[in-house]
Amino acid sequence: MVFNSLEFFIFLFTVFVLYWFLFKRSVKIQNILLLVASYAFYGWWDWRFLSLIILSTTVDYFVGILIDSNSKQSKRKLWLWTSVVFNVGLLGFFKYYNFFVDSWVDMFSMFGYDIESTWTLKVILPVGISFYTFQTMSYSFDIYYKKLKPTKDYLSFAAFVSFFPQLVAGPIERASNLLSQITNKRVFSYDQSVSGLKLILWGLFKKVVIADALAPIVDDIFANYTTYPASTLILGVTLFSFQVYGDFSGYSDIAIGTAKLFGIELISNFRFPYFSRNVAEFWRRWHISLSTWFKYYVYIPLGGSYKSKWISLRNITIVFLVSGFWHGANWTFIVWGLIHALMFVPSFLSGRNKMYAYTNIGDGDLNKTLKELFDVLLTFCIVTFAWVFFRSDSILEALEFIKKMLFSFNYEPYGHPMGYRMIDYYILIVLFILYEYRIRKDEREPFKFRSKFIRFIIYTLVILLLLLFYDDNIDRSFIYFQF
Amino acid sequence: MKKIFLKTALYVILILISLEIIVRVFHLAKDNPTRFVDKHKVEKWWPNQEGHSVTGNRRQNFSEFHINKSGYNSYREFIPTKEKKEIALVGDSFIEGFHQNYFNSIGKKIEDRLEGVEVYEYGYAGYDLADQLHLIYAYKDQFDLIDNVVIGLKFEDDLTRSEYHVVQDRMHLESPIYKKIRNIKLLVYAQNIGVLESLWKLAGRLSSIGKQRTSTLKEVISEEDIEVKHLIYIENFKSLVTNYGFDKERFVFLLDTKITPLVFLDYLASNNYKYLDTYKALNKSKSPTTLIYDRHWNNHGRSLIAELIADHTLASEE
Repeated sequence: MVFNSLEFFIFLFTVFVLYWFLFKRSVKIQNILLLVASYAFYGWWDWRFLSLIILSTTVDYFVGILIDSNSKQSKRKLWLWTSVVFNVGLLGFFKYYNFFVDSWVDMFSMFGYDIESTWTLKVILPVGISFYTFQTMSYSFDIYYKKLKPTKDYLSFAAFVSFFPQLVAGPIERASNLLSQITNKRVFSYDQSVSGLKLILWGLFKKVVIADALAPIVDDIFANYTTYPASTLILGVTLFSFQVYGDFSGYSDIAIGTAKLFGIELISNFRFPYFSRNVAEFWRRWHISLSTWFKYYVYIPLGGSYKSKWISLRNITIVFLVSGFWHGANWTFIVWGLIHALMFVPSFLSGRNKMYAYTNIGDGDLNKTLKELFDVLLTFCIVTFAWVFFRSDSILEALEFIKKMLFSFNYEPYGHPMGYRMIDYYILIVLFILYEYRIRKDEREPFKFRSKFIRFIIYTLVILLLLLFYDDNIDRSFIYFQF
Repeated sequence: MKKIFLKTALYVILILISLEIIVRVFHLAKDNPTRFVDKHKVEKWWPNQEGHSVTGNRRQNFSEFHINKSGYNSYREFIPTKEKKEIALVGDSFIEGFHQNYFNSIGKKIEDRLEGVEVYEYGYAGYDLADQLHLIYAYKDQFDLIDNVVIGLKFEDDLTRSEYHVVQDRMHLESPIYKKIRNIKLLVYAQNIGVLESLWKLAGRLSSIGKQRTSTLKEVISEEDIEVKHLIYIENFKSLVTNYGFDKERFVFLLDTKITPLVFLDYLASNNYKYLDTYKALNKSKSPTTLIYDRHWNNHGRSLIAELIADHTLASEE
């Protein structure tokens, strides 16, 4: 079941009504409902992989109790490693097994030993495995670092691991935020629900109008890049920047909005990343839940930036490489992570990595804003360049794409693969950028206008655009499902 | 709690009304002309209607139609006489041509090529050979005055029945409920762009819950089955031409030999039925001959078809 389907909205309405009308008196029953709904939501895709979620939940539930019950540091560490090995093992088998086998075979062939691989398996990647394994691990980590007490309520813990709004593509929640909300009583709030509905609408807009509408163009350009001129390749990767943003941030908005309907606040996952003034700021605004996860559970345990510069640089590089690898079992993602590491390092060394932590573009006067716009454009170009690796099927393809894009520039107008007017899409992107700039200060309030009338017009326009760009034939799944 | 339901419902109603207005103002939804069955039991459009046909979410194809007094989309009235030279085009949506301006139809293009000739386009979406031959039979007086009759034929679609009867499924679209629904332009638009499709799919899926699942694999049809089907279709063809008549001198089929089985082409040839090959005419073109949004002929495709028919007419005169 995907968020942008009719099934989901019928499902959501049913669960919402049951949750607040029938079961509102008991948190326990509400949690059971959330758990059943979450398993049904996941099972709609493939019920067989529910067993993995249940297994991961059970392991971390008991590991959490065992870590807490042991006072000996070595024992605590042993149990923590049990969780890490189990979850990473799960991830490794389903997501990375074939990658390692193929890389091993490729390495041998590089040295002239051609071996026929018989070890690759036909493994289906379970949707959302990277997200829920990280979420359960965070629970064990937090107990290990004594930031959290383990819960004795298995059902609530299971509901935390499988909470359907964020189960398959995040935001990756830390137990300290989500589990505490699940175990405590929720009270219906009109404002919170309205805010949730608005976020769902905005998320749908980003997914259906921006991401899905651009998908056929991007797919066409990346599939046939050898036949297109450089100008088209630049267009393709630029539109991919918007597609991947619309797709993933749209999903996050719908997830956050849906959680709000159940009285639960999830962390923000995107804060207008394309208005970042350097790469460091980009990573404060893009996939925040993953960056936060790596910060707390990889970067800081490795020593963070409190030791020498060299160790800090090492830690930064490790985090970016692992983050890249987390996205997919392909060298392209590792190179993508490496590029971001290389672009992040200058900001870090010059001490500029935190300079934009608490400000937004356009906070200052016109001169400052104009200068910032230049930085934003530069950052966008860097990020967009790196997307070539993210989107390409192999390093070789990415390099050829870049070579053609940068070193043999020529221009030809591009025609939509289905014959639609391209001008529609250009206007759409420009309006989208302008609107995002208008709302850039609060990612949780996409329709923040004082006048009710203007708000109404915007809602109507958003729904109209959903219709104008709706395509029944398109694959409606989200890009990040594959991760 | 009540407040959120009430306010949401209010917003939804207001937004739907606004969208209905927008769809009407910008003419995003197509106009549906009224159909009827005349005294000869011929299904056709109600005479003297005008409107626009719209394709795509963003009005990617927008064309005007005009239903004449005879109930067909054409810029001219059909008044055949002994003195004039007339050609009738009888066919389905390809001849009907709602996807093109009615002033730029195949018939008009033929008239531009053949001076003094009037072309009558008896096109109606969904017509098969039974509809077409019954129409000619029912209006024999008129068709007897027409010099050449070109009949569109798609073997796989048009020969599924051996006798004519009114297709009730199509006529159900004229029931009061459908008519009322068609007045809601937003609903027509949603239907056209496929939004309602997911609703039907979901309803279908829900209704099949609990029922035994059938294989999702496409049924494999054997060569023998295909042969049998072809023979049945040929029998249907024989039955139709026997029942409703066929003037081999004046009538000619317009078909695509690429998608017509050889056995039928052989049958036509051996029984002196003439046909014009659209495949040959369209295949020689280097530029696309169909629309982007559907498989109907575009302006260029229509010109090639007009040329094919005009050339045939000239050749038959000689």
